[in-house]
Amino acid sequence: MNADSPTDAIIVTHNLTKDYVMGAETVHALAGVDVEIKRNEYVAIMGPSGSGKSTFMNMIGCLDSPSGGEYVLNGQPVQDLDDDELARIRNREIGFVFQTFNLLPRATALHNVELPLIYAGVSSKERHRKAAEALGIVQLGDRMDHKPNELSGGQRQRVAIARALVNDPSILLADEPTGNLDSNTSDEIMEVFENLHKQGQTIIMVTHEFDIAAHAQRIITLVDGKVSSHDAEIPHHILVPASRTVEATTPAVPLDPTISSPILPGEAV
Amino acid sequence: MHFWEGIRLSLQQIWAQKLKSFFSLLGIIIGITFLIAVITMVEGMDRYVKEDFAGSLFGVNTFTVIRRQQVTTGRTDEAERRRQRRNRELRMHDVEVVLEAAAGARNIAYSASSGGEVRYGQNSRRNIRIIGGSADYEAVQGWKVETGRGLTAIDDKQALQVAVIGSVIAERLFPTTSPLDKRIRANGYRFRVVGVLETQGGFTGNIRDASILIPFSSFQRTVAERRQEVDQIQVKVNEAEEMAPLMVSVEGALRRDRRLRPGEPNDFHLQTSNDLLSAWETINKILLIALPALVGISLVVGGIVIMNIMLLSVSDRTREIGLRKSLGAKRKDILFQFLTEASTLSIVGAILGIGAGFGLAKLVELFSPLPASLSVGAILSAVVLGLGVGIASGFYPAYRASKLDPIEALRSE
Ligand SMILES: Nc1ncnc2c1ncn2[C@@H]1O[C@H](COP(=O)(O)OP(=O)(O)OP(=O)(O)O)[C@@H](O)[C@H]1O
Ligand SMILES: [Mg+2]
Repeated sequence: MNADSPTDAIIVTHNLTKDYVMGAETVHALAGVDVEIKRNEYVAIMGPSGSGKSTFMNMIGCLDSPSGGEYVLNGQPVQDLDDDELARIRNREIGFVFQTFNLLPRATALHNVELPLIYAGVSSKERHRKAAEALGIVQLGDRMDHKPNELSGGQRQRVAIARALVNDPSILLADEPTGNLDSNTSDEIMEVFENLHKQGQTIIMVTHEFDIAAHAQRIITLVDGKVSSHDAEIPHHILVPASRTVEATTPAVPLDPTISSPILPGEAV
Repeated sequence: MHFWEGIRLSLQQIWAQKLKSFFSLLGIIIGITFLIAVITMVEGMDRYVKEDFAGSLFGVNTFTVIRRQQVTTGRTDEAERRRQRRNRELRMHDVEVVLEAAAGARNIAYSASSGGEVRYGQNSRRNIRIIGGSADYEAVQGWKVETGRGLTAIDDKQALQVAVIGSVIAERLFPTTSPLDKRIRANGYRFRVVGVLETQGGFTGNIRDASILIPFSSFQRTVAERRQEVDQIQVKVNEAEEMAPLMVSVEGALRRDRRLRPGEPNDFHLQTSNDLLSAWETINKILLIALPALVGISLVVGGIVIMNIMLLSVSDRTREIGLRKSLGAKRKDILFQFLTEASTLSIVGAILGIGAGFGLAKLVELFSPLPASLSVGAILSAVVLGLGVGIASGFYPAYRASKLDPIEALRSE
């Protein structure tokens, strides 16, 4: 996963659009989005409600198909692929973390994590090994046999992250992964993402909260279905609330934003 | 493979809602119960009729000359029955004709019988059969003697008042002592017991086990009270192929002897176990035609119920389908998952049906002489039918599930 050339573009979109036709009205959920995301980048996507963040994520995750424009994933144009090829990409290239976890309620954590491996055709022994390993990464090695209703919200989201990781995807997509969690648990989850990023994982994350976005290297802001800024730098005023959160969970760290914020712009792995 | 996984999950779901599953599967269960119960009973009856009933009544490889037809197949009309009632009774003279015409047969026996009662001291039994049989009677009937001896040609020639008695009678008259050499009274006439027949048991055995066999000549002198009639003349051959030519020869000889003109019907009847078997075949055919209709209707109903359940399950689990697709499930994976579920459901129904059907047949066995024989073929056809219903009724719901758009499915509800 640690690519030799970290400047490789893994995602390139050009004039990506998505229209929803609602009777006589047409909603331009995406109105021409041009984005380039490099391997090993950690990007936050922000913007007001209804600005098209989820729509964009669904396009990137090949869950939905664009109305127009181009999307190149790992050098492969995606917009013309058929159902089965898209399924393959969702399975191998993309790990998706949802706001609402989306775990199978009757299945154990282990089985939930095994799902993508099932569709990848991995043998059951290997599936078990890989799923257990992924749960180990998110520190749930001791909760493998628990069902979702026997886990806390944060634990559920960590199971979902393990599931997203288990097939070694090229990108990890997360649409408001902490939206349903309290702030302490959110920090826990953000730490997981940070560790993954340190190990070379490309991450794209939608969030409403600046302190969450502050963990990322770069923020893309969407407004009305268009990119309004590609900030390579995270503005200082965003960093302040972020440092406060971190300080709250790690009181030993001195109250200095530049030290307590673990990731700073341009400080790629 | 996620095949086993699918089966395991469906079973879990069925188990989690046992009562609901049971009612949903009722159609299939009833259909398969029908199928198994009827096939099991028909097969049991078939074996019973062919091996046991027909054989013990008429003997294997045996044909019988009688005055008129006993078993009718429903094809014999009333006029024919009336005509046969005028048939001449059989006499010793006919026996001689048959003996000559069927000289190549293995055994020829003739007999007459009458109802009656036996008595020994204080012990007695009513409603028994007293059979007067010629020397070969036991051999033709396939009867075996348990203790003592059977009847011989000398017994018959000298019209000795000796008897071989059935096991039920032996038990009744001689609960503590040996019956051999004891003098019993049958319809008032004295007979010396020389042998006891092996117990046959079962439905047809009731007749034999409660019979006494005496020499034909003694029968005519005593129990028959000067009645001259011979009830039946039985001819037994070694191989089935020998039957037809011998029957032709016996028929011809009797017709010549009775001076019947060509074209005139026989005034006697030649009976083989075929009469009974063909009557049975008719019943059998009707059952086997009616059965698929009954089973078909219940299975169609069962299939519709399963289709409904699967449609409900697909709409209940739209989110799950969306999730699976978002994790990389292809259309065929989803199709397969729901087909597996529908098939598992219907196979469980089929298995319950097999159990219930066999139970039903066993119950019938308990209260009737019909043996319940569950054949591999019946089980196989039940399972195949169950699977067929599952796939047929699961296909449309599964197809709908597989066509769902991942993001719309995920967003649902
Ligand atoms: N299935 C749909 N049918 C019609 N319109 C839709 C559909 N999905 C999204 N939209 C519209 O597209 C626009 C973008 O929606 P989207 O969900 O991407 O917003 P968002 O940025 O994720 O908002 P939020 O922050 O509230 O999650 C909205 O105006 C929304 O109403
Ligand atoms: Mg959204």
